Amino acid sequence: MSATTIDRAPRLARPNRRQEWGSPLTYFIALLFIAVCLAPVLYIVLGGFRSNSQITTSPAGLPSPWLFDNYLNVLASSTFWVELGNSAIAAIATTIGVVVLGLMVSFVLARYHFRGRGAMYSLFAAGLMFPMTVAITPLYILVKDLGLTNSLAGVILPQIGFGLPVTVIILVPFLKAIPDEIEEAAAIDGASRLGFFIRMVVPLSLPGVVTTGILAFVASWNSYLLPLFILNDPSTFTLPLGVQAFASQYSVDTAKVLAFTSLAMIPALLFFTLFERRIVGGLTGAVKG
Amino acid sequence: MSSLQGAAPVTDGQPPQVPAKAGEDAPRASSPAGRPRRRATDWRKRLEIGILSGPAIIVFVAFVIFPVFLAAYYGFFRWKGFGAPTDFVGLGNYKVIFADSAFHDVLVHNAIIVVLSLVIQGPIAVAVALLLNQKIRGRSLIRVLIFVPYVIAEVIVATGWSLMLQTNGAVNDLLQAVGLGAFRADWLADPKIAIWSLMVIISWKYIGFAVILFLAGLQGIPEELSEAAAIDGASYWQIQRRITLPLLGPTIRIWAFLSIIGSLQLFDLVYIIWGQYVASTAGTSTMATYMVANGRTSGNYGYGNAVAVVMFLISLVIALIYQRFVLRRDMAGAVTQGAK
Amino acid sequence: MKRKIRGAGILALGAATALLATGCTAGGGDNSGSNDGKVTMTFWHNSTTGPGKAFWEKTAADFEAAHQGVTIKIQSIQNEDLDGKLQTAMNSGDAPDIFLQRGGGKMAAMVDAGQVMDITDSISDETKSAINEGALKGESIDGKIYAMPIDVLPEGIYYSQDLFKKAGIDTPPATMDELNAAVSKLKTTDVAPIAVGAKDAWPAAHWYYNFALRECSEDTLQKAASTLKFDNPCWIKAGEDLKAFNATNPFNKGFLTTSAQQGAGSSAGLLANHKAAMELMGAWDPGVIASLTPDQKPLPDLGWFAFPSINGGEGAEGAMMGGIDGYSCSAKAPKKECTEFLNYITTKDVQEAYYEAFHAIPVNTAAQGVITEPYLKSVLEAYNKAPFVSQYLDTLYGQNVGNALNTGVVNMLAGKGSPQDIIKAVDEAAAKG
Repeated sequence: MSATTIDRAPRLARPNRRQEWGSPLTYFIALLFIAVCLAPVLYIVLGGFRSNSQITTSPAGLPSPWLFDNYLNVLASSTFWVELGNSAIAAIATTIGVVVLGLMVSFVLARYHFRGRGAMYSLFAAGLMFPMTVAITPLYILVKDLGLTNSLAGVILPQIGFGLPVTVIILVPFLKAIPDEIEEAAAIDGASRLGFFIRMVVPLSLPGVVTTGILAFVASWNSYLLPLFILNDPSTFTLPLGVQAFASQYSVDTAKVLAFTSLAMIPALLFFTLFERRIVGGLTGAVKG
Repeated sequence: MSSLQGAAPVTDGQPPQVPAKAGEDAPRASSPAGRPRRRATDWRKRLEIGILSGPAIIVFVAFVIFPVFLAAYYGFFRWKGFGAPTDFVGLGNYKVIFADSAFHDVLVHNAIIVVLSLVIQGPIAVAVALLLNQKIRGRSLIRVLIFVPYVIAEVIVATGWSLMLQTNGAVNDLLQAVGLGAFRADWLADPKIAIWSLMVIISWKYIGFAVILFLAGLQGIPEELSEAAAIDGASYWQIQRRITLPLLGPTIRIWAFLSIIGSLQLFDLVYIIWGQYVASTAGTSTMATYMVANGRTSGNYGYGNAVAVVMFLISLVIALIYQRFVLRRDMAGAVTQGAK
Repeated sequence: MKRKIRGAGILALGAATALLATGCTAGGGDNSGSNDGKVTMTFWHNSTTGPGKAFWEKTAADFEAAHQGVTIKIQSIQNEDLDGKLQTAMNSGDAPDIFLQRGGGKMAAMVDAGQVMDITDSISDETKSAINEGALKGESIDGKIYAMPIDVLPEGIYYSQDLFKKAGIDTPPATMDELNAAVSKLKTTDVAPIAVGAKDAWPAAHWYYNFALRECSEDTLQKAASTLKFDNPCWIKAGEDLKAFNATNPFNKGFLTTSAQQGAGSSAGLLANHKAAMELMGAWDPGVIASLTPDQKPLPDLGWFAFPSINGGEGAEGAMMGGIDGYSCSAKAPKKECTEFLNYITTKDVQEAYYEAFHAIPVNTAAQGVITEPYLKSVLEAYNKAPFVSQYLDTLYGQNVGNALNTGVVNMLAGKGSPQDIIKAVDEAAAKG
């Protein structure tokens, strides 16, 4: 399934299996592309090393001198770490919820035949059309009635709900593609459907699960609107909220805001770097079916 | 919105395992009434279905579907948001929406964003993906770096870019420094330019995702095909045109679908950069910002919810049309489940 | 294979645990109310920076110390987000106990929905004697008082005396013609004549309000609050005045995306850093400017003059636009403790501390003696002399119409609409809500 098992020879038809250097043109274009992608990020990161007057007088310049105070102050403040923790809890819980619930329901949709299956599938797919902005007011009332305002659960549960459509749409074809022969073999071996699910489906769908898990994690980590309205108590803020609150509290201090912002970027980037192979591998698997 | 733009494509179709089962598919969209009572195992099956799908359905219906209907309900009222709505106006809000010139503007803006997103990101992403689809040294690193903008929160992207694009910000300063001072402009405020600035920011954020997606798709294309063609004497470009691109088709079509849906629902970037008031003046307002400006910000909750319903219906119609006519041959329809 | 089963099982267990745990942490929604004589109140204000924020923290702490068993949980919310969050909170029955009240039509909507406590009978005599009756009237509807005023914020043009001198302007303009002349002179120097934070819409709209104040009679302005009809031709005349003024390019470049108060690039920030010479604002501005100067101290050369008079027009000479900041108790707040807090914040000592923190005019007349800044003294003088002080029009006419009015003005300034379009936008807004 995964493409990494196929070794691709370079275009110039050399039968080598080692990783070759590509042509200079390739690298040049890649470099250009990367430069464009990273320039704004660098702007934010470098901005944190400057002082406000540096930024005002020379907006596009490099730090001179390099000031570390901004970053150190942010790292030393408990606000940043508390918000980091909140974001982490919310993201991890959302991811687990989305993956577990999504896998279970995708399994049902992919491998059971029953009336109403089409309706159930359309139900989840229709959820794609409805973004959070649209549902926020009734959603807030619902969360409030459940007594979950100012708690991370009030953010996690709706996020799980909103993460299900994408998960279902990715996982159903994944699970559908598991050959029936395997299922039949498992049945012959005496395993129940449920056993088949746990023992064979979960491992086989791992690439798709990883992909959806990562997407859910990133979406939760970056989500802004829902926490904005559910979380009022600053001790429950997640990082995007923290960035906004910090930006308005220290609106004077552009440099400080940039420092906070770039530190807020790091966890997501780290996470992505660690799982990068899995992401692309998962996407490949999803695409290939 | 970011969760949408982040979805990976569904299967591109025809692995040999699936087709034979098509006939066994249960009839769609009928109510679950009238279950066959022939065997005791059916009860067990229903139980399994219930246990496995129950939690997901409960969470989804409670937090996604139910608010949808609630919003539709509120849309029939004029309501300030306090207490329960009492002023029933039926379709009155909808009539105002479709008569509002500001809403017409917004539809135009969304249409521009949809089309330009596809046109700008698609070809570039395909080209870059083709270029990077070689097992060269540093490939991993390149892929990671390209994906970075996608991973960053929209709040952060918006904050950073709006600082850079200020009249006295980094971009103008840089242009001045390299001698292109004549090109300095009011990137955010000039109604003629603002929408292009928005497109640049959107493309910047999401093109990496498109590239990764296409790379994944390309890796699903067996090498043997292009090798065989090369042996037959086809040039590189002929191979791309005749073999690679068509096989990449399903992936491209799925990406386009996600891009369209995401463009229709664009909110965060516009809201944070242009604020809730001037987006329409700058020519960058979208359906979502219109909804917030005329609904929540103005305290017209009934009206705002009606706009939300309109957004939902527009997205749904476009999605259904796209599914039916474009994606139909690729897969067993996601939204309509209309595969034969 | 066994590894995978355990993996899946642990996954499920972990999910359940995480969900449970997060449900238990951070508590449920804030509840106000007494338990065994202990009272907790939530308090929302809009000072997110330095001295203002510190002032509220100290004031709340002092109140808690003087009132055993009372706890006040403070939340500072960015000014532009406050109205939206308040709406959402009230809408779901989760309103804060004490909150900043803008007044006017916005307050009327809340009163109609039964969300605000009537504090007419709870105002202490001490407070009543110290506060101008007009200020209390400004916070009443139908004779009932719904908010405690805490400062008065008359509007006028704040300017940098140094920049004026550099441009060769000796006296502040008193008429529109003089203002136009000043603008031309300033354009020869390297600063923006007037800073306006149109991104937040209301700063730009305030120019329209003041022209309307000059063109329309007091009666017209007040009547429109109840009828929400703007047929009188003076409204269009005001728009044309503003359009003509805008045609002289008096505003800073990129004013469309300049915010009012956030950051050194905001209109207040431009003034604070001597990049702009004037700004039309209410009396909160010195405090905001002070937080944006390079040394974060009040701008030493800040001056003030009233909005210039125009030729013709039905508005009374010397009339002013002026807001009143007040604080309301929500209908569900604990009455005794909440009204005690409201009375507390208008006592002389607290009001003097308020002035120190915000550099705004406290409502307590005894505390006003503590004002030292010359410009604030000019403001107070003009305020006391004014025949008529109107609430800001967007507050007066309510959020719906107010927002449409503000956005309409911005559109016109950006060249996308005419004065008639402003009225049209306002009429359309009335249809939406």
